Amino acid sequence: MATTRRAGRSRLTLALLIFTSLAVLTLDFRDAGVVEGARRIAATVFSPLRGVARAVTEPFSNGWNGITDYGNLEAENDRLRERLEELEGSSVVEADATHQLQDLLEQLNIDWVGDIPRERARVISGPVSNFGHTIEIGKGSSSGIAEGMPVINGAGLVGRVVLVTSSSSTVQLITDPDFAVGVRVVPDGVTGTAKGNGRGEDLIVDTPLDAEAEVEAGVELTTSGEDRSNYPPSIPVATVRRTEEGSGGLTLDLIAEPNVDTDRLVFVSVLLRKAPR
Amino acid sequence: MIPVGPGVVATRVSFLLVLALTIQVGLAPEIPVLGVQGDLMLLIAIGGGLAAGPDRGAAVGFASGLAYDLFVQTPFGLSALTYALVAFLVGSLQDSVLRAAWWIPVATAGAGSVVGVILYFVFGTVVGVDFAGTSLPMVALVVGSLNAIAAPLLIRAVRWATGTQDSVRARSVYR
Repeated sequence: MATTRRAGRSRLTLALLIFTSLAVLTLDFRDAGVVEGARRIAATVFSPLRGVARAVTEPFSNGWNGITDYGNLEAENDRLRERLEELEGSSVVEADATHQLQDLLEQLNIDWVGDIPRERARVISGPVSNFGHTIEIGKGSSSGIAEGMPVINGAGLVGRVVLVTSSSSTVQLITDPDFAVGVRVVPDGVTGTAKGNGRGEDLIVDTPLDAEAEVEAGVELTTSGEDRSNYPPSIPVATVRRTEEGSGGLTLDLIAEPNVDTDRLVFVSVLLRKAPR
Repeated sequence: MIPVGPGVVATRVSFLLVLALTIQVGLAPEIPVLGVQGDLMLLIAIGGGLAAGPDRGAAVGFASGLAYDLFVQTPFGLSALTYALVAFLVGSLQDSVLRAAWWIPVATAGAGSVVGVILYFVFGTVVGVDFAGTSLPMVALVVGSLNAIAAPLLIRAVRWATGTQDSVRARSVYR
């Protein structure tokens, strides 16, 4: 008798908890500010604790990553050395190209390219769950950072700011399947939408190009910066690897490798620019 | 033995959750294994079920999941729903698990973690989360293994927090 009563009470408890979870999920889907507010408070409160935890464990985690990722580090070292040699060889050509580009931009009256204020920030944490595609950076609203601002590094677009506290921010990475950005195919100016496809995976770019069109591997994609976009134009995004038919069979999808290695971010820059209204 | 009051239990569980959250969001991302990090919050939920039974275990799982939801960008409440359910399921096995050999709770924690990851994936898919690029078998197996390794310590901690460490049943586990 007592066992039956206890089992009944347990089921009631579970039903209440499931109901509460569903209610909370609904609140989140309806974009209630309370959820965003709670997340902001939690991030603010935990930011110092996370900083301390990271500082204490950094030597250990560096050692751990050195052991478990030694092969990749060696390959990365070789790749960087090769890249450095390439850059040294092409620096003169690039200086000339930069000069020409500057001239062109002035003629087109795009006066903010190159002088958008930036805030450099250190990455303080990678994704906090196995299904997450966000990172934390160590600067927030006190440094002028706001939600929606683009985040870049030397290689190109990293993502965008989705949550801000006074001293830290959460950045949604370009590899997030929920991330989308307007891109331009560099040589011919065709625009499309690049979407994340998960960690370590290539981006998928929907284009209006005919399914029979040819786009060569190695072609660069940059942000299109179209009307009211969060992202200014010309930020490098990805490099085309191959093409495939779009879902309807009528258009062409580009499969492109992100320029940024989102697993190895140390410093990033936030462009202190709000989307035009 | 003086029984532990509900206020003390709430304080201890809160302390444990804050400590676990700090480790989960501050340390776990830095030491992944095969690109996957352990899920301490899920392990606390499972520990709650094992230590305190389905009723209180589900409440601990719910609190643990809700706290974790504050730091991830997946829908708020998804972890709470999953962890409460896993804790309830594990708690329903509590009697047979706690009276068995020492390794049974460890194996239960590992298996419960695998089930938890799969349930999270299923519920997430139902509510529209896109898990593209995620290898579910790899995540489930690595989380299950890491959580099994951490289980003896965590189950003890949850047992202390929920005030069940000195119960007759609990004493029989790690004797």
